[in-house]
Amino acid sequence: MIALSIVQLSKTYGHYRVLDQLSLDIPSRHCFALFGPNGAGKTTLMRILATLTRPSSGQFRIWGYDGVTEKARVRQLVMYLAHGTHLYDDLNAIENLRFCLALRGIIPSDSQIKRALDRVQIGPFGHMQTRYFSAGMKKRLGLAKAILARPKVLLLDEPYTSLDERGIAIMNAFIQETIQREGAVLMTTHDREHTRQVANHMGILHSGVLRTFPPHELSTYVVY
Amino acid sequence: MSFIKAIRWMVWKDLITEMRSRETLVSMLFFALIVILVFSFSFSMDHQAARELLAGIIWVAFAFTGIIGLGKSFLAELHNDCLEYLQMSPAPKGAIYLGKMTANFLFMLLAEVVLFPLFIIFFNLDVVEEIWILLVVFLLATEGLAAVGTLFSALTVQIRAREVMLPVLLLPMVIPVMIAAVESTRGALNGEPFALYSQWFHLLGVFDLIFTVVSYWLFELILDT
Repeated sequence: MIALSIVQLSKTYGHYRVLDQLSLDIPSRHCFALFGPNGAGKTTLMRILATLTRPSSGQFRIWGYDGVTEKARVRQLVMYLAHGTHLYDDLNAIENLRFCLALRGIIPSDSQIKRALDRVQIGPFGHMQTRYFSAGMKKRLGLAKAILARPKVLLLDEPYTSLDERGIAIMNAFIQETIQREGAVLMTTHDREHTRQVANHMGILHSGVLRTFPPHELSTYVVY
Repeated sequence: MSFIKAIRWMVWKDLITEMRSRETLVSMLFFALIVILVFSFSFSMDHQAARELLAGIIWVAFAFTGIIGLGKSFLAELHNDCLEYLQMSPAPKGAIYLGKMTANFLFMLLAEVVLFPLFIIFFNLDVVEEIWILLVVFLLATEGLAAVGTLFSALTVQIRAREVMLPVLLLPMVIPVMIAAVESTRGALNGEPFALYSQWFHLLGVFDLIFTVVSYWLFELILDT
């Protein structure tokens, strides 16, 4: 079953073509890692798939739902962990989780929240306002949100940034878990070593053009 | 997800963040206090003149105080890209609008409740008999300002000159609310029979209904662009 299907997707800003006729299928139980130099269009692609930006042409489908005309369905299935933390500084960690999940229609119990926070190892900081969190703690809280939301398609924009080794291990464990429960993951990254542990398909985006390659050729392709 | 629950969570989030930061209400109250002081020093009015002019002064103060609050409403969502999260969440966008509008309405109303007694003191007013009519005017007019203001706050939040653009766009749109609010308040303060100014109540009610519905439908379009 194809979880994420992209067909001839293009995005232009004025005369600058960021994505050029990009096509890609990611089946369920797969993690696709997308490499590419800065400005290659990785984040633009993520934003399109998260329904934040409209493509200039082409289409994409998430579990069969059209990403432009069936946004409401797509938004229920996708979770995007972006560069921005999507956290309210004046709310504490638990309140942030409750609010963000409530907008997805999820009301977790106290014990579920506690388990998620413990899993990402910020359990003792549940009642602390997130304005006092470090970048890594905010990233872990975002991961706790994804753990509780259990999305069918997970979009991760540079997921290892700001995380320490333990945090990266927790992130990779969650990616594996998402794959095992029939989900699909698309991640952009520059971190070859940690990506190799979870990704079973890879590609490099350069000047808006995608070239896919098997993971064992990672060191050959990813030079930019 | 439940539409009503989404509204409730939006209101809860805005109230909690405001209770902790006090950023919006404090700015609104200080601004309004300065406006009252400036007006009270600028016009030395006897009791009758105050009743004639005060309705306009009150609503100028309330409208500009409201704009301060409305300007901050969506600004808070830009921090940490929270607006992006609202945009891509599966929650009905109409519920997000109504939640934000309700929170803005409550902040503006709270500011008015604090400020109106100051008007009574500074301008030596006796409003005991008209207080219930005035309260209804405040509710209706504030709802109209919040309904249109919330939409324009979302529209202008990503514009560089948003502080200027919000009042420039909003004030012409709410002229009917301002006229109706001023006329109703003047009628009440002068102790006129309700029948003489009841048409302004009707205008407020119709404006609230139309602009709340229109803003509700337009909000998704604005959030997605």
